[in-house]
Amino acid sequence: MRNVAIISVGYNDRFVAKRPDVNIPEMIQPAVANALKKTKMKHSDIGVVVEGNMPTFEGINYPHLWFSDHIGAAGKPVLRISTGGTTGMSVFHGGYYCVASGMFDVAMVIGWEKHDEGDAQVGLMGIVLPEAFSLFQFGPDMSGGRGGGMGLLGGGGSTGGASFQALSYLAKAKGTPEHIDKMAAQARANAAKNPYAHLQHPNCTAADIAKTPMVSYPLRYGHTCPASCGACVMLLVAEEKVKKFADTDRVAWVKAVATASSDGTTGNLVDGQITDPAEQAICEKIAAPKAYKLAGIQNPKKEIQMCEVYDGFAHQELMWPEKLHLVDNSCKAIDEGRLAIDGEMPVNPSGGVVSTNAIGASAMVRVAEASLQVMGLAEGGHQVPRRVKNAVAHGWGGLFQFVTITILGDEPVKR
Amino acid sequence: MDKKERKETRQTKDTLDMSLFKWRIEADGLELLVQGFKEKKVLGRKCHKCGTVYVPGPSYCRKCLIDIQDVVEVSKKGKIACYTVGLADVRGNPVEEISVSVQVKFDGSDSWMLGNLEIDDWKKVYVGMPAELVLREETNGTLADIVCFRPV
Amino acid sequence: MDRKVAIVGYKQTKYSEQNENPRERMTYELVKSLFQDLKITRDDVDTFIISCSDFQDGRTISECYMIPWIGAYMKDVSKVDSDSANAVLYAMMRILSGNYNTALVVSWAMGGSEFRSPRVMEYELDPIYERPGRLINEITAAALQAQAYMAKSKLTEEQLASIAVKNLRNGARNSLALRKKANATEKDVLASRALSLPLRELHAYTPADGACVMLLASEEKAKELTKNPVWIKGVGFCQDTYYLGERDLVKMDSLQKAAKAAYKMAGITDPARKIGVAELSTTYVSQEPIFAEAMGLIPKNSGPAAASKGWMEIEGKIPVNPSGGPQAANPLTVGGLIRIAEASSQLRGEAGEHQVKKAPKLALAHGQIGMAAQHNVVFVLGN
Repeated sequence: MRNVAIISVGYNDRFVAKRPDVNIPEMIQPAVANALKKTKMKHSDIGVVVEGNMPTFEGINYPHLWFSDHIGAAGKPVLRISTGGTTGMSVFHGGYYCVASGMFDVAMVIGWEKHDEGDAQVGLMGIVLPEAFSLFQFGPDMSGGRGGGMGLLGGGGSTGGASFQALSYLAKAKGTPEHIDKMAAQARANAAKNPYAHLQHPNCTAADIAKTPMVSYPLRYGHTCPASCGACVMLLVAEEKVKKFADTDRVAWVKAVATASSDGTTGNLVDGQITDPAEQAICEKIAAPKAYKLAGIQNPKKEIQMCEVYDGFAHQELMWPEKLHLVDNSCKAIDEGRLAIDGEMPVNPSGGVVSTNAIGASAMVRVAEASLQVMGLAEGGHQVPRRVKNAVAHGWGGLFQFVTITILGDEPVKR
Repeated sequence: MDKKERKETRQTKDTLDMSLFKWRIEADGLELLVQGFKEKKVLGRKCHKCGTVYVPGPSYCRKCLIDIQDVVEVSKKGKIACYTVGLADVRGNPVEEISVSVQVKFDGSDSWMLGNLEIDDWKKVYVGMPAELVLREETNGTLADIVCFRPV
Repeated sequence: MDRKVAIVGYKQTKYSEQNENPRERMTYELVKSLFQDLKITRDDVDTFIISCSDFQDGRTISECYMIPWIGAYMKDVSKVDSDSANAVLYAMMRILSGNYNTALVVSWAMGGSEFRSPRVMEYELDPIYERPGRLINEITAAALQAQAYMAKSKLTEEQLASIAVKNLRNGARNSLALRKKANATEKDVLASRALSLPLRELHAYTPADGACVMLLASEEKAKELTKNPVWIKGVGFCQDTYYLGERDLVKMDSLQKAAKAAYKMAGITDPARKIGVAELSTTYVSQEPIFAEAMGLIPKNSGPAAASKGWMEIEGKIPVNPSGGPQAANPLTVGGLIRIAEASSQLRGEAGEHQVKKAPKLALAHGQIGMAAQHNVVFVLGN
């Protein structure tokens, strides 16, 4: 079992709502250049390129074929992975396995999305479109109003599924919507210390978030993520080659990766929904224990110094650390300031997905940010003050049914 | 990093033509559900191996990966497992009519069923609140037979 | 490679214009049927690697409703968004890492009944220049490639048609094939509808509904599960540059590189003699001599000789696509996996009427995507 390290992270630029000045290849290329710049590697040293995004958002099938040249992939082995919201981390895992398998010594992983080219809402509708159409065969009442089966499609608009999850979580954790306000405020304030984050709001407070309208109780407008454009690139290297290629003494070692999936926990209109979206046994009972075991971590609360979780909606920043066994009750923890950058268990010092969401990149950015923390390289003031020995990065996706976890550390696991 | 001034370059447009696709879905569960409405019953399927009751009830069990045929009737009464209230659209503009969407777990079922709740004040709703499915007086065996959920 | 990876079992649907079931049940039945053959349950599968395409299924995150139907409820799953041969490659790498002992590769597409393929494939094109230009699509790209090869090697239209005839007749010996014609002739091919000359309908793949599933295992696990493991001896993959004008469509650089890497890993220096059978994802028959040359199976510009002397027939010296290839049936993204399954069944002697008699020891399987096969994956399999 080979040890693999992340030796550099590259972003194309700050994540923003629109990039009307570049097309997709032009947007991604600087991220590749930035990642390479921070190493002693030449482009020819890259053994394999693993790439991914959510293809229906920009309306391009197999986009990696088009920008072959811009990312320096022409003439190289290329693998494309796409798993909904967890794409970024699944791509990272793909690159990890390319190296861990022994087939390659160096892998470049690329996660990206350009949301201004397409409509994210329409893209997301595409997940359930055929199932929704099938309902029409069974004669729902189309006249509008409360009943008639159209309620089956409803759920408070597109925030519907997430709202159910938020409400179910609050009921379990005995929290209130005010806790979500606090979490969103912390995220936006953290983002202001991250030069690459999209929505930056220095010194944001819960009161600022509470001013935004309640969209689908308990979620407010201020609890939801933006649609961002940007790319994230990382270089992974096998243990034997780290000294040769890394331009830093502190690299981030991949201690474990794990993933698990369940049936859809929302929108399961046709096949029946038996899973609570706020339960996430795939994380709590399956993937997280597996990852900690592989990483040799017995007491996550003591041994992990920070985490980057995928919070498309602010309540998830409260929920996921609990499912990852890092915090007992996040609502209490945030009341006591324990989740802040200088707290006991910093959560999303980067600002998280709720501040920056280029979907194909987002789950990879969680790994990238966690690795920057381990390497001590987070810019702009979002580096956590304690030395980070171990960090957890997490992603979710699909109909709240996929989970991916990566555990990073400042030294490799002894094998 | 400050936001930069970006000059717009040329644009080309295209559409994802959905008429290129024709989907087929096996909707055995919905078929059974609407058939049950003819007799004002809520019908689902139960796995004979693990006992999970699915409503709507597909004809396979996802835990055991076997075909299942046992049809079971569940109560029209249940508890609200989860809910959300639609107060504004995604851009933040308030909606004309507030809607309460609920996921109800019928007594006897392991599944949540989605629907709208008819209630005067949404603040009264809570997780665990008893609710029941209201069907039309005259049912035809379609989803339009569903009127709403109502608190019990 | 310290660890070895084997293919221990696989199953294909019968290919059709419209499967009697929707994609969910079609794949569910296939997975269950493989589990039954191998006497395992979904508990024995450590990881699932799915290969499907959002653009072919017409839905975003096309695998999300399929997860429970393929037995992956509460299991480790990932998805490759490329030809399914890449999914086998990824599954293999997961096992080689030591983290997993078994991996199930699952791939499906409803290429016959749910979407119209050439138009859907146009979404692969660069949206700025080629898509609005409406000149390049998978058919015209392959036609340009065919024309280039015919000019270089002097392959005649008759000879090109004979390759199609071979595949139609092979299809008749493959019980799962959709398009089959036991008494096909060059006249039939040359009379078929022109797509983009020199390519006609019978030169092209037959879009179909279908699925394929395959279980891979580590060496120790493989020996428990089957008496006839098919070993993955070598694999190589490579992607060409994008614009057709910047590629040599006859030389096929990416395929040469992929094959070289696969041979190196397998320790093969003389593929023309060592490879006993090849299953290639030749979506247009013109690609058979081109790919065979790029992979060193036949000498340069020998397409005409191969065609007139029957080298690539089932009884020939280097049988290519004894199953009938993509001309017999091609559910698009499932293509590469089918080729691997067919190559494996040749090595196991299970290919029935389309079995290559000379009991091959080494087989080649190939998968591709992109206009004129821009991205290629090559597997060397052995028994």
